Formats: sequence, C-alpha cells, structure tokens
Amino acid sequence: MRLGASVQAALAGFKWSGPFREAGLLLLFALVLTAASWFLRSDGLPLAADPMEYELELAAPLTVTEEALAFYDEGDYLFVDTRPHPDGDFQTIPGAFFIREASFDDDLLEYFDFMTTKDHFILFGDGDIFPVSNIAARMQDRGYQNLLILKGGLTSWLQAGGEVSERSGGES
Amino acid sequence: MKDLFVLACRLFVGGVFIYASLDKLAHPQAFAEVIHHYRLTPYPLLHPSAHLLPILEFVIGSALILGLGGRGAALLAGTLTVVFMAAITSALVRNLDISCGCFNTDGGHDVGLDLLWRDGILLLMCLPPLLAPRPGFGLDRFFRK
Repeated sequence: MRLGASVQAALAGFKWSGPFREAGLLLLFALVLTAASWFLRSDGLPLAADPMEYELELAAPLTVTEEALAFYDEGDYLFVDTRPHPDGDFQTIPGAFFIREASFDDDLLEYFDFMTTKDHFILFGDGDIFPVSNIAARMQDRGYQNLLILKGGLTSWLQAGGEVSERSGGES
Repeated sequence: MKDLFVLACRLFVGGVFIYASLDKLAHPQAFAEVIHHYRLTPYPLLHPSAHLLPILEFVIGSALILGLGGRGAALLAGTLTVVFMAAITSALVRNLDISCGCFNTDGGHDVGLDLLWRDGILLLMCLPPLLAPRPGFGLDRFFRK
C-alpha cells in the first residue's frame, strides 16, 4: 500500500517538462531526420532486413536454385532433405537423403555406407534456412565439410521447374 | 567554475557521440551487420535501428555541443550509454567474439570489460549536464526562463 501510494505520488508529481520534454523533442527530431534521410537516400538500406543477407551467420554457404539445378544435372552433389518427416505422401528431390534434426544421429547412421565426408552435399528445407543451417553445423561436426544450403528450399526448386519424386511418409 | 566543468562534460560527451555517428552514417549496411552480431535485435527492427541510432547519436552530440536542449540530450546520451553497456554485458555473458562497432563499423575494438569501464566514465560525464541547475554556456540560456 505504502509503495503504491509512493508510486502514485511520484506519477502525480511528474511533469512532462525539463529534460524529459527536451529528450522527447530531440528523439522526435531524430525520428523525422531518420525518415527524411531514408526517403532521400535512394541507394540506402531498405527498412526490412532480409535474413538471407546475413548469411555469414549460416553454417554453410548458400546456393541459388539455378546453380543447384546445374549441380543436380551434373550429378556432382548429393541432396539432403532436412524437413521434418511428414505423415502422408510428399514430394522431394529425387535421390535425396533424409537427415532431420529430431533423428539426426539415426539418419546419419542409416546412410553411413552411402555418404562419405568427401562427398559434396546440398541441404534443403521448406524455405526457412536456419533449421537447415543447424543441421549443416551438426554435419560439419561429423566431418562433412562440403556443404551448401539451397536458398528458398524445395519451394524455389519447384518454382524453377526442378524434378521431384513422390515419397510416402513411412519411407526414408 | 561549475559552468566550465559542465561545459567540458557536454563538449566531451557531445564530441564522442558525433564522432561515433560518422562512420555508421556513412556505412548503414555495415552498421546493421554490427548490430546483428550482438544477436539481440529481431530482423524487423534491424534496419530501422541501423538508420535511427547514428542519426540519434549525431542529434544528441550536436545538442550537447550547441547547448540546445542540453539536459534532454544528456538524458538521452546517458540512456543510450546504459543500453550500449547492457548490450556489451550481454555479449560478454554469451562469450560472443565480436567487435563492438562503437566508432568503427569495419572491425574495430573487440567487446571486452574495458569497454564497460569506458562507457561507465561516459555515463558519469552525462550527469553534470543533466543535473545542472542553470543552462550554462550554450543556446539553452536564450530559451530557459
């Protein structure tokens, strides 16, 4: 009660004047200047940040769909589907291995005879690159260094006309 | 004598803030990356922060040097310094090996305890202009009754 009364008294005594008013006006001025400079600098930074631009934080470099399609045609890269296992039928890139966050160790063990650390891999998800990056980091810990992450995931692969195959949820 | 001390604090803090803003104003993209390295700012706020912070620093610095809204500028400078100290402490706690981006967006000083001392001194120097009973030297004396 006493504390509540003190807070009430402090709030009643507060006046929007002095340093607070000055600080508010300066902040407002800075906001107006910021808006003006954003409009005037046509080559400036866009207001919305694209997480893709900050790919340096990713565990592996990004590759774009056109490049990935060329790698697929050449057959130099193995594709890794990192999406969580769906229940029903789903589409994926033909020949893709399935390595998921939840069953990472089991999945890697299953493909032990087919995936060597010297192979080159393209990891893809549903478009969100950060879960894919986490799996890439875990693969790097196991010695797989030649990794790329497909920008846009399977969605952009489909949009670019990439080949897909139907798989059922029970399959791996 | 007191007025001279307040003026010295104002000029010092104002100079530091203006100097700190220049490289960030020239390289907003690099500054956005510096902010991103702290891993505290969500993506929707990243670029707006990279736009606003250098301009706010420049406005605060100019207001302190000109003595226009000096107490408010000192309040903002102190608040910003506390925010910077919190960000540095957070980076230290999480063992982030990053550059502070205080004055230079291209590399610069690594985040460390010495930065907290430096910011602590800057914070103390914000107090005299904030608590000064009179406007002292500057444009405020023409506006304050």
